[in-house]
Formats: sequence, structure tokens, C-alpha cells
Amino acid sequence: MRTPGGGVPLANQATFEADVMEFVPQLYSAALRMTRNPSDAEDVLQESLLKAFRGYGTFKAGTNLKAWLYRILTNTFINKYRKTARRPAEVELGALEDLYLFKRIGSDLGGATRSAEEEALDLFVDQDIKRAVEDLPESFRIPVILADVEGFSYKEIAAIMDVPIGTVMSRLHRGRKALQRALWRTAEERGLTEPGA
Amino acid sequence: MSRYCEKSAALMYSYLDQEMTVIRRIRIRMHLHRCPPCADGFHFETRLKDRIRTGCHDEPPAELYDRLRTFLQQHGASGESR
Repeated sequence: MRTPGGGVPLANQATFEADVMEFVPQLYSAALRMTRNPSDAEDVLQESLLKAFRGYGTFKAGTNLKAWLYRILTNTFINKYRKTARRPAEVELGALEDLYLFKRIGSDLGGATRSAEEEALDLFVDQDIKRAVEDLPESFRIPVILADVEGFSYKEIAAIMDVPIGTVMSRLHRGRKALQRALWRTAEERGLTEPGA
Repeated sequence: MSRYCEKSAALMYSYLDQEMTVIRRIRIRMHLHRCPPCADGFHFETRLKDRIRTGCHDEPPAELYDRLRTFLQQHGASGESR
């Protein structure tokens, strides 16, 4: 930083476009997963960028810009679209076992070998993956998007969602297992589990 | 299934997410080295995590950038929404 020993330099609002626009594709994808439709996704993104633009003068240059933008995006989505304000944070997902998909692919597809199991993953098209993520309840969907799609750490997700790290871990881990259950259901519906499919 | 298998399964996501100490990581890696079924499960989950990431990308509509720039120009400077 150019201010040795001094205060933390603030971001320059004039450079907002140059700094932030490169994040638009990934922010748009995340907004689409959150809202589940393109016009709402664009609304959330637009509102988020406006907040980011106005607050950019207070953003500390050199700190985590991506996390800062995702925090704004997540809050904007939650404030705008949370259906029932007092919804319990923990939706019941039922019993979820470890390695749900691996075990089923292993037994149903006769995938005794590592490569057979990996090939089974290639049977899913992107649309299957997107739908499975979008079908997760919101409190599980957001940590899954932030961790698995965006690669944020537990600590970063905790700051973005404003919840304790333990909560992030439990929702993320449960969300992933529920996601596997949804993918398996898709595989069954599409007949991917039939022998020779 | 040994107690090491159970312990590894419980810590699997923390391992895959690189959210654990080096010592713990080495212990799990040692177990995976000795236990092919656990290693296969971990490997599968790694691939799945990767598949989730690659499957969730959408190209924004080309006009979106122009719409966003226009919107920011109209509303950004004023400090108030119109």
C-alpha cells in the first residue's frame, strides 16, 4: 500500500467500473441461482451494484473486494426476496447420509471402479446441477453457492452471511448432502440409473 | 469400517475445503493411503464439488453491461433512487 504506517487507503469511486465489472458474470450467475429467474437476478444485481457504487468510497482498498461484493449481493437478495420474514433458519431436510450419491452410484450402476463413478458424474448436464442447487432451501443454498461455486472459505462465508462459522459448516454440509439426494432423484427420473443407460 | 473410517468421513468436508490444520490433514491423508474405499469416496466428492462449480455458470445477456452502466450513471451520482 502507498500509505506506509498511515491509514488504510480507500477505494477510488472513479475506478469502480474497472474494478468491479469483471465480477459481473459470476455475480450474475450467483444471483440467478439465488432468485431462480433471469429478471429477478438482474434486479438483484443492479441494486447490489448501485449499493456497491455508493459505498465504494468506504471500501478499504486491498481488502477482499469479491467477498465485499458477495456480501452486498447476498443481503440484497435476502432483503428483497425473503418470502416470510420470520422463517425458521433451519428447514428440515430429513436424515442425510454421508457419501449419498457415491454409495448409490456404486451399487446401482455397478460402479465398482473409480472411473465408472466418475463417468456417472458426467451423465449430469449443467441444467441438472443448476436445478439441484436451486431446489435447496435458501439457508442451505446460499452457503453451497458461496463455497462450492465461488470458493469462499468458511470464515468468509460467515462474514458474508453474518452467521457463526459453525452455522456455515452445518448448513453447507447438510446442503451438500441434500444436493446429492436431488441429483440422485434426477438420475432416477431420467433413467440414468438403468443398466446400460 | 474402522473408527478411522468414521472419523475421516466426519471430517471429509473440512478436509476437502482445506479448512483444517496441517497435522489433521496429514493424518487423514495417511488413512486414505491405507484405505482405498475411503480414498474412492473422498475422490468422488472432490469430483462432485468440481462438477457443481463448473455446472453453475451462466453467461449474462450481452446487453446487461450496457443496462448496468446506464443504471449506475442515472442513479449512482445522485445518492438517491429516482
